[in-house]
Amino acid sequence: MKDKIFGVLQRVGRSFMLPIALLPVAGLLLGIGSSFTNPTTLEAYHLTNIIKEGGLLFTILNIMSKTGSVVFDNLALLFAMGVAIGMAKKEKEVVALSGAISYLIMNTAISTLITAKGGVEAMAENTTTVNLGITTLQMGVFGGILVGLGVAALHNRFYKIQLPQVLSFFGGTRFVPIICSLVYLLVGIVMFYLWPPVQAAIAQLGQLVLRSGYAGTWIYGIIERALIPFGLHHVFYMPFWQTELGGSVVIDGVTVQGAQNIFFAELASKATERFSVSATRFMTGKFPFMIFGLPAAALAMYRTARPEKKKLVGGLLFSAALTSVLTGITEPLEFTFLFVAPIMYVVHCILAGLSFMLMHLLQVTVGMTFSGGLIDLVLFGVLQGNDKTNWIRILPVGLLYAVLYYFIFYFLIRKFNFKTPGREADDEETKLYTRKDLNERNASKNQNADSVSALILAGLGGKANLSDLDCCATRLRVTVHDAAQVNDALLKQSGASGVIHKGNGVQVIYGPQVSVIKSRLEEFLDSPAADAPLSLPEASEASAAEESKISHRNTAAIRLFSPLEGTVIPLEQVPDEAFAAGILGQGIAIEPIAGKLYAPCNGTVSMVFETQHAINLVTEDGCEILMHIGMDTVALNGEGFTTHVKTGQSVRTGDLLISFDMNKIQNEGCPLTTPIVICNAEELGNIEIVASGAVRAGETILIIH
Amino acid sequence: MVTLQYTIKDPAGIHARPAGLLSKTAKAFRSEVLIEKDGSTVNASKLMMLMGMGIRCGDTITITVQGEDESEAAEAIKAFLSEHL
Repeated sequence: MKDKIFGVLQRVGRSFMLPIALLPVAGLLLGIGSSFTNPTTLEAYHLTNIIKEGGLLFTILNIMSKTGSVVFDNLALLFAMGVAIGMAKKEKEVVALSGAISYLIMNTAISTLITAKGGVEAMAENTTTVNLGITTLQMGVFGGILVGLGVAALHNRFYKIQLPQVLSFFGGTRFVPIICSLVYLLVGIVMFYLWPPVQAAIAQLGQLVLRSGYAGTWIYGIIERALIPFGLHHVFYMPFWQTELGGSVVIDGVTVQGAQNIFFAELASKATERFSVSATRFMTGKFPFMIFGLPAAALAMYRTARPEKKKLVGGLLFSAALTSVLTGITEPLEFTFLFVAPIMYVVHCILAGLSFMLMHLLQVTVGMTFSGGLIDLVLFGVLQGNDKTNWIRILPVGLLYAVLYYFIFYFLIRKFNFKTPGREADDEETKLYTRKDLNERNASKNQNADSVSALILAGLGGKANLSDLDCCATRLRVTVHDAAQVNDALLKQSGASGVIHKGNGVQVIYGPQVSVIKSRLEEFLDSPAADAPLSLPEASEASAAEESKISHRNTAAIRLFSPLEGTVIPLEQVPDEAFAAGILGQGIAIEPIAGKLYAPCNGTVSMVFETQHAINLVTEDGCEILMHIGMDTVALNGEGFTTHVKTGQSVRTGDLLISFDMNKIQNEGCPLTTPIVICNAEELGNIEIVASGAVRAGETILIIH
Repeated sequence: MVTLQYTIKDPAGIHARPAGLLSKTAKAFRSEVLIEKDGSTVNASKLMMLMGMGIRCGDTITITVQGEDESEAAEAIKAFLSEHL
């Protein structure tokens, strides 16, 4: 259960990467654009002549600011769609549409209720917002994630639904937006009643902060960070920044309310000797962890990424860190570890809170337009002078934070093996997927057919390559889209005795049991397992091995795959009396055309000859196999042979056992004829030789019944 | 029970082919033929086990034959060893 939750959280975390990848760019546009179009900033730095409202430079900066801003304003929609895409198993384009429409519907339901209950005025302050033109509750990114996860769950549940004949047009993927719309209509109604109490509780927290001095500043910092994932931080800090909750001061004869308003009034006033710490305590704390701490955390994530992934994650982490440093937009970085390692986010919240408190204690008074990046530090700290702001004190605290963040993150990631970017297992997605498939498979009636069906499907080039499937008395008759994707060797591994190609038509000869094979294949095609990506050759080998076990269980047959590429000859034609007479066992021989001997089945190496010219394998079922490379090659004393396995080692079908130098062996006058015999054939049953002529390594050569 | 000892003289030792022939010789009789070298013992009719002994030139092996036709079997094996190995 724990693993399952963790697995889901990991997928959620990964599904965030798509929208997050956009944030650094949007953040830079917004940060630079808004700083240099802020009238207060422009006046304070006497830039009003260069950057004039309506002027070219101003307009360009304004476009940057607005386009960056629109991304952040609609972050919830991006997450509604992005998370849904990330979490959907397939038919992702449908889920994107459903995510968008559900988000609109949920907010519209809320909006209609707000109007019905007396409009925005009747709601508590700072609890509503306008989103995509819809007046709705301020739910931030949380609203989007709520939609994304729900829509993906509905999609995965219903995208294959079959409706009664008359309604069949609305079945399958078309049903997904329909059901999502209805569900999110209800979710909107529920949220209208559920969300305001949550918002009210947060507003109460604000009162607590005010009554607790330095500790209150710490609590403020922790809560502000902790609310970011839920998009509730605005509800929390805006009252401090913009209302009397953040203080009330008379500046130049005017009463100013709210921390940020006080700061900017002091900035504009010539009478200011020092900025009020009672106001900046709600802002300055951001600088140490945004400029120093989080980038150090990014470095720790980079250093702990697997070497081959460093290049890939380096770009993501660097741009996210740069955004945090320059603009104080931290979500791109925070969301990279929030879901894969929540404990790291907890640590981050505590340290961030401490940063606010330290700045309060040290009387550092640097304000900000909206966040604590380098741009704001320079504009409102450095350029104001140390006398007014004590900004120099940010530097030692910042360096301390960099060290703390780096080592804490480095330690936590290594200790708990958190899957931060670049540490995920490559095939995780597939693994999660197959494990689930496995459960479904166990639940289904015919468990054994799947690996055979999977092999057949792989041999036919995958589900997408199938156009039509039928069978006659002994043959599977298939029409494929691309005949080149058909793999005869895989089909033969699945038990076919032959494959016939006619254009895009493929006939796979199985014998009279073909009708069972066909119906099992059809059932398999309807199961999600059939959609798993084909990963050759490992998958084919694994399934072939699995299949050989299953077929053994069902029919007591052991299947050997060719260990060599070459030409099959009957054992009687081997130029050695003992082998030809079957004294060493029953089997076949191959005249190899490539100097590599592979394992013909799963088993254990029971002996590698000292002279390396022969090898014995024993299978789990006790089948003893001797493979003897060339004739009289014992005389070569190991010259020209390289063995890649040791006595006692377990091998799987297709593992390289011995490589040999064909020229060298022939130059010594030894034939290359390689008998492959079952030493204890008489104990096992009949040996059926199913290959003749040219074979490739991995094709079935014989079956022991 | 008949016991005999033999020191291998064939430079290649008991490799695949001779092991097969020795095994076949042993299997022709109803008696049980055990071959011992340096404390480990195998049944000569088990070809794979016999090959697994890795018996080389200069090794001395002890053959123990037990059963109703033990003397004929011992004779046959002795003849085989001196002829081939």
